Amino acid sequence: MKEIMAIVRMNKVSATKRALVEAGIAGFTALKVMGRGKLVKDSSIIEERKKTLLALNPYNSSEKEKLVTQFLDGTRLFPRRMFTILAHDDEVPVIVEAIIQANRTENKVGDGKIFVMPIMDAIRVRTGETGDSAL
Amino acid sequence: MIMVRAIVRPEKKEVLLGELSDAGFHAATVVEVVGRGKQNGIKIGDIVYDEIPKTLIMLAVRDEDKDDVVDIVLKYARSSGKGAFGDGKIFISSIDEVHTVSNGKIGL
Repeated sequence: MKEIMAIVRMNKVSATKRALVEAGIAGFTALKVMGRGKLVKDSSIIEERKKTLLALNPYNSSEKEKLVTQFLDGTRLFPRRMFTILAHDDEVPVIVEAIIQANRTENKVGDGKIFVMPIMDAIRVRTGETGDSAL
Repeated sequence: MIMVRAIVRPEKKEVLLGELSDAGFHAATVVEVVGRGKQNGIKIGDIVYDEIPKTLIMLAVRDEDKDDVVDIVLKYARSSGKGAFGDGKIFISSIDEVHTVSNGKIGL
């Protein structure tokens, strides 16, 4: 049994849900979290994305540019959705691949991370089943 | 790899995230949670408050960095030199795999 913890973009939630259903795993728990990733040291990676974001709003100010840069280079916490999925060992690669396919963008940074963690036991409250049959 | 989950006082969040970043542990996930500890919440008069707001900070770190992260949390999440009830807990669990979505690479 594994616990898959995936941190995805807010606007990719429905795509992720669809991908999970298509992968045959419908159950999950999701919550809103704030997070940040590695600091972006090479500013050329985020240059293009910064231009697109700045173009969304016609008013140009240094304050806005600072804010956008902080969001992109990861100094600020930004909102993300955290999915928790319990899976049998053999389903893990399928789920990980489905989440990666659904969430990859052209933005180079900020697509999220997936953690696969061991879990000792699971119990279904309704029947009291334990172990793999409870998933 | 190790998952460190620290439940700390909400007012310690900013300073803790700053110190972690300075020490090289920039990536983190933060959730606002409520909970109670061994003391069964706070009793003021006849009223018991057992849903006390806390902040959960999650960090995925390399095995050898675990002790550094724990030390930083212990140092900066304490409400005074000695510490007080309600300063929080740190849970440590193992991670089998980490995938980065943007490039499909495995590992931190």
